[in-house]
Amino acid sequence: MIIVTKSDVTDAEIDHIRERIESLGMRTHLSRGERRTIIGCIGDESLLAEVPLRSLPGVESVTPVMKPYKLASREFAVDRTVVRVGGRDGWAEFGGEAIAVIAGPCSVEGRDMLLSAARDVRQAGACMLRGGAFKPRTSPYAFQGLGEQALRLLVEVRAATGLPVVTEVMDTRQVDLVAEHADMLQVGARNMQNFSLLAELGRVRRPILLKRGLSATVKELLMAAEYIMANGNHDVVLCERGIRTYETATRNTLDIAAIPVLKRETHLPVIVDPSHAGGDADLVAPLAFAAIAAGADGLIVEVQPDPERALSDGDQSLPPAAFASLMQSLKAFAAAAGRTVGSPSPARAVA
Amino acid sequence: MSDVPEDSAREVATAELAQCRQEIERIDNQIVSLLARRLGLGKRTGELKRAAGLPILDPTREAAVIRRVTAIAREAALPTEPVREIFWQIVGMSRRVQEQTAESP
Repeated sequence: MIIVTKSDVTDAEIDHIRERIESLGMRTHLSRGERRTIIGCIGDESLLAEVPLRSLPGVESVTPVMKPYKLASREFAVDRTVVRVGGRDGWAEFGGEAIAVIAGPCSVEGRDMLLSAARDVRQAGACMLRGGAFKPRTSPYAFQGLGEQALRLLVEVRAATGLPVVTEVMDTRQVDLVAEHADMLQVGARNMQNFSLLAELGRVRRPILLKRGLSATVKELLMAAEYIMANGNHDVVLCERGIRTYETATRNTLDIAAIPVLKRETHLPVIVDPSHAGGDADLVAPLAFAAIAAGADGLIVEVQPDPERALSDGDQSLPPAAFASLMQSLKAFAAAAGRTVGSPSPARAVA
Repeated sequence: MSDVPEDSAREVATAELAQCRQEIERIDNQIVSLLARRLGLGKRTGELKRAAGLPILDPTREAAVIRRVTAIAREAALPTEPVREIFWQIVGMSRRVQEQTAESP
């Protein structure tokens, strides 16, 4: 249920409305805009039948939210959510007018390689660095990532380049460790419905990049976001990364329609991973253009200084020159969609 | 950045920063001991509720507590939503203490 308040509602009236709802054992969520304020009700809605919500002072209208996700739903927020990532060294924003591009290697394989990749992607206009520390590989015999050492390298490279970093967290036991190092925590497609991990991430004060599961519906993705939000963390960025279909010409099928559908259903920012979706470096640019045309708020792209020697996912990684050219071409698509391509935040002066 | 502070100004600021941090630690000590006192009272109310045959879970009372601190926070020019979150945590802790009291007489 959402309650829209009158434009001249007072603080005391809002407090009273919330107290009436919370007296039933429900919780409320406040979203304030310039012209109107929304009070969202969370909990067993059948209880609300006891309260004459419409006749409480300050109430303009009362609308039931028929969807299973509440905090994530478009109706619950007056404005779209802008998620800000990073801090002292540098920052990035998702969900504003500017399209934010995250780029970097699939996995962190060493200091020199990471630093070189970070400098290249920053030069090309990326505003955030990606790099896997813990890799969820299909085979237990494949390279599993450098773990804690990779996290330290990410921090080092962030300080050197001013790019905030995102890395995947696979296990509840790693959450605190990863949150200490990274600016944004990624939930991989294979963990999208790992509910204990999602609940744990709700308690973290770091934005979450939530990737859609390989066979998850849009509703399931939003329910996963709801899990994180219901546990207290409202800074969630959703990522469409391709779903499993009968088509074998591409690794996954990028669900372009999911972008406008998500933008209709939720106030959260939506970004696209064209690298994993296609699984082929040649497909990255066209899929990225399509994503921006469809309204995506950002991209996450794999860039590898030397794709042939990469320890994981070399096939889909762009070499730095190809990434730079993609970033150039992106501007026209962004302009056509009424957006701009974001620039990296100024790096902190290095003494 | 252009405005690099002079050495003397930096020393003064560093000294005051250390003082501020000490004061912050003293306040944190107080917050923790106040929390301990509040939870102690929660335990006692749990016992009293049991003696009076009242249920432990009392959402009406919880909502009133939250509304009251929201108004105080606003009066003190604090952002109300984070204060509400903190107090929902405290109310939740208190409820758990009461439930434990009720379970183990």
